[in-house]
Amino acid sequence: MAAPAAPTAPRAGRRPGVVRNPQQLLPTWLQRTVIVVLLLSMAPVAYMALISVSPDVEVGAGQLWPSRLVLSNYVAVWSSIDLATGLVNSLVASLAAGVIATVFGLGAAYCLARLDFRGRGPFLNALVGFQIIPGTMIILPLFVVFSSVGAAIGVPLIGQRPTLIVTYLTFAIPFATWLLVTNLRQIPTSFEEAAMIDGLNRFGVLRKIIFPLMLPGMLVTVVFSMLVGWNDVLFANVLTNPQTHTVAIQLQAFGSATETGALPLYGQLMAASLISSAPVVLLYMIFQRQLVGGLAAGGEKG
Amino acid sequence: MTVPPALAAPEAAADAAPREPGPRRAARPTSGRRGRRFPGGRPLWLMLPTLLLLVLVIVVPFLLAVWIGFLDLDQYTLRQLFSAPFIGLKNYSEGFAAGQLLHSIWISAAFSVLTTAFCLPVGLLAALAVNSAFRGRGLVRSAFLIPYVIPSFVTAMVWRFLMRPDGAFNDFLAVFGITGGQWLIGEQAFWALVIVDTWAAWPFIYMMTTAGMQAIPDELYEAAALDGAGWVARIRHVVLPGIRHQLLLGLLLSTLAHFNNFTLPYVLLGSPAPDAALTLPVNIFQTSFQFFRFGLGSAMSVISLVLLMIPAIYYLRASKLTAAPGED
Repeated sequence: MAAPAAPTAPRAGRRPGVVRNPQQLLPTWLQRTVIVVLLLSMAPVAYMALISVSPDVEVGAGQLWPSRLVLSNYVAVWSSIDLATGLVNSLVASLAAGVIATVFGLGAAYCLARLDFRGRGPFLNALVGFQIIPGTMIILPLFVVFSSVGAAIGVPLIGQRPTLIVTYLTFAIPFATWLLVTNLRQIPTSFEEAAMIDGLNRFGVLRKIIFPLMLPGMLVTVVFSMLVGWNDVLFANVLTNPQTHTVAIQLQAFGSATETGALPLYGQLMAASLISSAPVVLLYMIFQRQLVGGLAAGGEKG
Repeated sequence: MTVPPALAAPEAAADAAPREPGPRRAARPTSGRRGRRFPGGRPLWLMLPTLLLLVLVIVVPFLLAVWIGFLDLDQYTLRQLFSAPFIGLKNYSEGFAAGQLLHSIWISAAFSVLTTAFCLPVGLLAALAVNSAFRGRGLVRSAFLIPYVIPSFVTAMVWRFLMRPDGAFNDFLAVFGITGGQWLIGEQAFWALVIVDTWAAWPFIYMMTTAGMQAIPDELYEAAALDGAGWVARIRHVVLPGIRHQLLLGLLLSTLAHFNNFTLPYVLLGSPAPDAALTLPVNIFQTSFQFFRFGLGSAMSVISLVLLMIPAIYYLRASKLTAAPGED
């Protein structure tokens, strides 16, 4: 491959001075193999979709390919488990946490990204450090506090939606604040400077300049913080009751229940899995540029 | 590094001398410390709500968790947080004496390191493969994200279904003459975890690598190609140095995430978890919420955090998160 071209007869396609696709880093055969193998590795996702439209009897009998496709699983699953309630519970808890975290985080993110103050470095480090605290370590004292306080005031707090939302804030606030800081850093300061020279005060700048410029970043922050909540199993497992179960908990309970049944309802289980992941996958696909961009911003400062 | 006046232009900000106002800084129009000449001053109070919430929902519970680790708190004494018997380090000694804790630490460490190690080549190859333009690249790139963006509880649920003894995974292995056997119980459960988590998490390394590669200027590839560098040489001398930083961050973050992963082992293997795959988060969960040994569970999570600090400190150092505003 690296053979120097003979001066008189350069090889076809390798004229000196012209490089054919220097961006291609792998030889074509390897590039194709990697892409094909990785796409094939997505088979479980396709299989999940296939099983979700297969008759339960055939899946239960160990048949790999259904003899016919049915949509009945998508109808039946809504009554087999209270999927609608679960979806609403998941949406309310994770969206509330995402919005609260973003609104609260904005003020802090502005200070962290634009101002100099004592303790700024430790604050930024803490935001990342908090995200490393194991969930098991946070849920335990919260559970103890919620059940003690609930007993003291005579209102059971465990199982209530607001309790779950407060718990979700433990990861949503550091996460959202951090995302907002990285977002703000990408907005040039020149608009703010111009506005301040024109006599706008800090608060005016925040309201009239930063806020509109940050709206897309805030939307992304709400979405990403929300998705973390949507995926939670640990907190919801401890803090919800059948009325407030999130869809993750419902699915897990349905899974364990149906496996031991006489006829496992795998078709419905896969239908429910698809239904509960569809909104997440859709949102990630819409915001995938920001997802990768955000990761880049986290480390570019080296 | 101390931070320059908030309004300093980015390029000026980068040279600002730390702490003492050097001549360069004094010469700027905003010589008043930190933009005081602008009406409204520095609205640091904007941070107050966030700080209060953080203290309330993270710092206080965190300190409580440490405190509970010294108490003999179980379901009978649950509501007597301040009168439960103080037993000092007994929870810690019990955790280590019983052997379960060390076992779980070992399982979790092996799991997170192995999974990260397996994700590395896959994610790297994926990023290299889609670096050059080809028809359908956008679709392939989106598809690569799918395993990562599917919620973990769904991933675990689907693989639990695939990994049944008569499930599709064993049928697939049979094509290669491999007898899969039991994946969800016994010794093999550990490998089930590694396989599924690798399947779900390689796109993270892929994304970090892609993000790093965006910063490599095209000229470098062109120069390397002109020099007649083969593909291995190009990867070694152009790509790897360019993404080193990003990749290191990715590996650290991924190790932390695997170590802390509760959802995947819990949903994939159920509870109680098979002994061979009893990861630390699941062990803490079972100790706390199935055996109701809150004190012991807290002590275990404190140990878990101490262990996580090791890679976390490296992460904080490597990422230089505290770079001054406007410095990027």
